[in-house]
Amino acid sequence: MNKTIVVGMADYKVGKPPAKLMTAGLGSCIGVCIYDLQAQIGGMAHIMLPSSKESMKGNPAKYADTCIEMMLEELLNLGVLRSRLKAKMAGGAQMFSFAGKTPLLRIGERNAEAVAQELKKVGISLLASDVGGTFGRTINFDIKTGNLHIRTINHGEKVI
Amino acid sequence: MEISAIRIEALKEIGNIGAGHAATSLSKMLQTRIEMTVPKVWLVPLPRLPEALGQLEATKVALYLKVEGEAPGKAMFVLSVKSAQLITKTLLWKSELPDIINDQMAQSALREVGNILVSSFVIALSEFSRIRLQPSIPALGIDMIGAMIDAVLLDEGKLDDNILIIDTKLSGLEEMEGMFLYIPGEGSIDKLLGVFGI
Repeated sequence: MNKTIVVGMADYKVGKPPAKLMTAGLGSCIGVCIYDLQAQIGGMAHIMLPSSKESMKGNPAKYADTCIEMMLEELLNLGVLRSRLKAKMAGGAQMFSFAGKTPLLRIGERNAEAVAQELKKVGISLLASDVGGTFGRTINFDIKTGNLHIRTINHGEKVI
Repeated sequence: MEISAIRIEALKEIGNIGAGHAATSLSKMLQTRIEMTVPKVWLVPLPRLPEALGQLEATKVALYLKVEGEAPGKAMFVLSVKSAQLITKTLLWKSELPDIINDQMAQSALREVGNILVSSFVIALSEFSRIRLQPSIPALGIDMIGAMIDAVLLDEGKLDDNILIIDTKLSGLEEMEGMFLYIPGEGSIDKLLGVFGI
């Protein structure tokens, strides 16, 4: 059975093999996977904004800080060992640019920084990341192997 | 955010007027008949966006314009690659479908289409609401629709849990089909609907 768990925008899911986790069409959002290879448990979050501190409103799963906290707690409940946790992330692109204007907010870049910072804060090492650029990504995470497969439309595919 | 039934109806009417003007402009530009659906007004929770937009990883061509002024919003015209090729082929009098990923001229023509569509929409909105609105220059993207939508939604660095979308489909030129989306900004609905007294 090859089950794929789909993670929607501003959402996170955890699972065990043979299930795989996937999120489609990441633009300036970040897809972050946190997993314990030995326990064979992993989670993926689709994060939209850097910080809940600026405008904490609504669903906490859309912010880097609150979403990582929530997912971490769920993973710990499932029996992961905190010291064994690793992370990988992808996304954080700048999809649109208006001729002659530099984007003021650089949300993609800030999202990537915020996720990296939050992971550091909770003591999870970020093994690999594929962030930035001007293109969208669809990601698939294999909880069994810890491989994160990244697909794009005009910028190839890769596994990190 | 909650929206009363009467407001939904009024928003549909706004979509109807605006998209009607946009469809007329597109029709003049392409010298062909353009069909338009009755606008849908969606109030979609973020995780359910695919239900409104379809496959998030599908490759689409999107034109994105910000609408600035007293009631700001965002407008997007989303096309399949084939539809964008059909439009540019017609506009540029080409004998074959252009390669829109590499053809600068075709991309420029598409931007112009975005410009004209959104300008007509905005002018219609301004005229009946008496609110001054101004479209930005167009940005063009050819990528996964989900990625382009999230970038548009996050453009201001904040995001509601539910997204209000006014969605109208335009079709013509045999197989050309496009989705015209208008996403009113926070507080803009009150201003736009103020003219109806609701």
